[in-house]
Amino acid sequence: MTDVTIEFRDVSKRYGTLVANDHLSLAIRKGELMTLLGPSGCGKTTALRCLTGYIRPDEGRIFIDGQDVTDVPTHQRELGMVFQNFALFPHMTVQDNVGFPLMIRNLSKAERAQRVAQALRLVRLEGYESHYPRQLSGGQQQRVGLARALVYRPKVLLLDEPLSNLDAKLREEMRFEIKEVVTRLEITAVYVTHDQAEALALSDRVAIMNRGRLEQVGTPEEIYEHPQSRFVAEFIGLSNFLEGYVQAVDGDTMVVSVGGLQMRIPVLAEAGPGQRVLLFLRPNEVELLRPDDPGGANVFDARVEKVTYLGDTLDYRLTFGQGLTLRVQSDAQRRFGQGAPVRLRFPRVRCWAITGN
Amino acid sequence: MRLARAYGRAMWDARLVLAYTLLLSLTLFILAPFLMIALRSVGKGWFGRLWLPPQLTLDWYRWAVEVGNIPEVMKNTLIIGVIAVAVSTVIGIFAGWAFGRRQMPGKEVLMAIILLPRMIPPITYALGVAQIFYTLELVDTYLGVALAHVSVCAPYAILVLSATFEGLDERVLEAAGVCGANTIKRFFYVVLPLIMPGILASMIFSFTHSYNEFTLTLLTYGPHTVTLPVRTYLAVGDGYWEITSAMAMLMVVPSLLILAVIQRRAKPEKLVGGFKGV
Ligand SMILES: Nc1ncnc2c1ncn2[C@@H]1O[C@H](COP(=O)(O)OP(=O)(O)O)[C@@H](O)[C@H]1O
Ligand SMILES: [Mg+2]
Repeated sequence: MTDVTIEFRDVSKRYGTLVANDHLSLAIRKGELMTLLGPSGCGKTTALRCLTGYIRPDEGRIFIDGQDVTDVPTHQRELGMVFQNFALFPHMTVQDNVGFPLMIRNLSKAERAQRVAQALRLVRLEGYESHYPRQLSGGQQQRVGLARALVYRPKVLLLDEPLSNLDAKLREEMRFEIKEVVTRLEITAVYVTHDQAEALALSDRVAIMNRGRLEQVGTPEEIYEHPQSRFVAEFIGLSNFLEGYVQAVDGDTMVVSVGGLQMRIPVLAEAGPGQRVLLFLRPNEVELLRPDDPGGANVFDARVEKVTYLGDTLDYRLTFGQGLTLRVQSDAQRRFGQGAPVRLRFPRVRCWAITGN
Repeated sequence: MRLARAYGRAMWDARLVLAYTLLLSLTLFILAPFLMIALRSVGKGWFGRLWLPPQLTLDWYRWAVEVGNIPEVMKNTLIIGVIAVAVSTVIGIFAGWAFGRRQMPGKEVLMAIILLPRMIPPITYALGVAQIFYTLELVDTYLGVALAHVSVCAPYAILVLSATFEGLDERVLEAAGVCGANTIKRFFYVVLPLIMPGILASMIFSFTHSYNEFTLTLLTYGPHTVTLPVRTYLAVGDGYWEITSAMAMLMVVPSLLILAVIQRRAKPEKLVGGFKGV
């Protein structure tokens, strides 16, 4: 008995010359909520469709519960799926929509009614049995979609951007609802989204995709704290990138030369002197000091180019070193005007670098 | 200010006049011939310049039914209509599926070719059909006349059903598959109910076109396959205006029935396009 429920093994899918999935390999553990995160068009839906069997990968195999299902037709894969546009059956009532998978499986009418009632209770939609989808709001329709996907206890729950068609407030609410249901049922789930905040909030692990390839797989913390590529860093909202090269390695610290300045950052295992690196800095993790504050390691003089007032924070564009620019956000307590000299401090442990070329 | 108001009133009046003129001419064009036939079919001794017939009678209807053999002719018309509807709908479903669901090269060209019988003069097309049918011995058979009708009915069926299939949400079918439905169950539980309005619309269109079709029937009918329009036309040749009018009136009855059904049962916007997912 393996604890891997789903496995993509080297899966590729092409549409003409366009590679929608490029040698995808990913293992999803039992009971885990795995998110496929990436910009629109990066191949997330294609990956899900390979999993449902709606399309057949050109190469590679798909495993569910250790069984190779690559050639098993969709209707035999025992999956549940929630769609971005809800994809409810417009000609059926809520009752019949949710009961559809049970009807297909020839369950008795009484059993069907009982299971449907249970599923509707789970998504808090009791009393809507005889409504048609078009009579429901988006949020309610998506709850019906969720109930329909869960009613027959599928092995895996798939969700393809289930919240994208809802407005912002409802989206946040439903996010936690989905998370709660998935946790309560201890079901393995694959969640697709292009919204990084959603992915970080929901997932046990996140797989970031870019142009059909997997960029990085890890827990939300790993992804957020230690992005392994510039794409991942940018995608989860980092905006400061500084290029430099390693000057020296000193224990757990390495000295990196950036625009003529020396920065001390945590050492990278694979980096030796001369290695080019890319530094990531979050705008809210750089400290702004007064120009007469004491200097020290990782403290540099800078000048304010532009300030934008954002309410509880101020957004600065700064220049420092030899032609380096940086975005910094700090609380509105200590203010610097345009053109003012400031000092920057980069907390050593908040600096994250990857090797670059 | 006053000028503006006067101008506004003038525009309003102009629009009113235009509306009434349009309405009146429409009424005249649609109703006048109809009224004429209706009166003629029940009038007796209506000659000269009288506004209304001096006497009313149902005799012409009796004559039409007995001499014109209307029950037999009506039967022919309906049988041919049903065959034409069945064949066109089946063609429409398959072609509509292909046009509406698949990206295929040369779609526009194919569509144009399918619509061609409707574009060229009916008599030209009918002549060609007749010649082919003579060699195939399809002339004066129900199937033959019906197949001739299919050439005009099928394009409508294809158009309507292409739109229906285009409106079918791909992801709803995908959802049905994930829910455990195989191709056959997907078709019967999901596809069929969703395209039903389109199928009904296409059947009604096809039937009315077959029912009203004249040119193609004229060149492919025989003694056993006289249809209502042809019978009426032949009666004109016999010179009995009253009996012809009665036939024409009888012919209208089923059309009106269909119209009533459409009005009652189906919303036009539902007939074309079918449902959408969201
Ligand atoms: N049926 C198809 N035919 C051709 N190209 C497709 C098809 N489906 C998807 N694609 C292309 O494959 C790429 C990946 O699509 P998709 O998996 O839907 O992306 P995502 O769900 O991440 O937005 C896109 O560039 C898309 O245009
Ligand atoms: Mg998608």
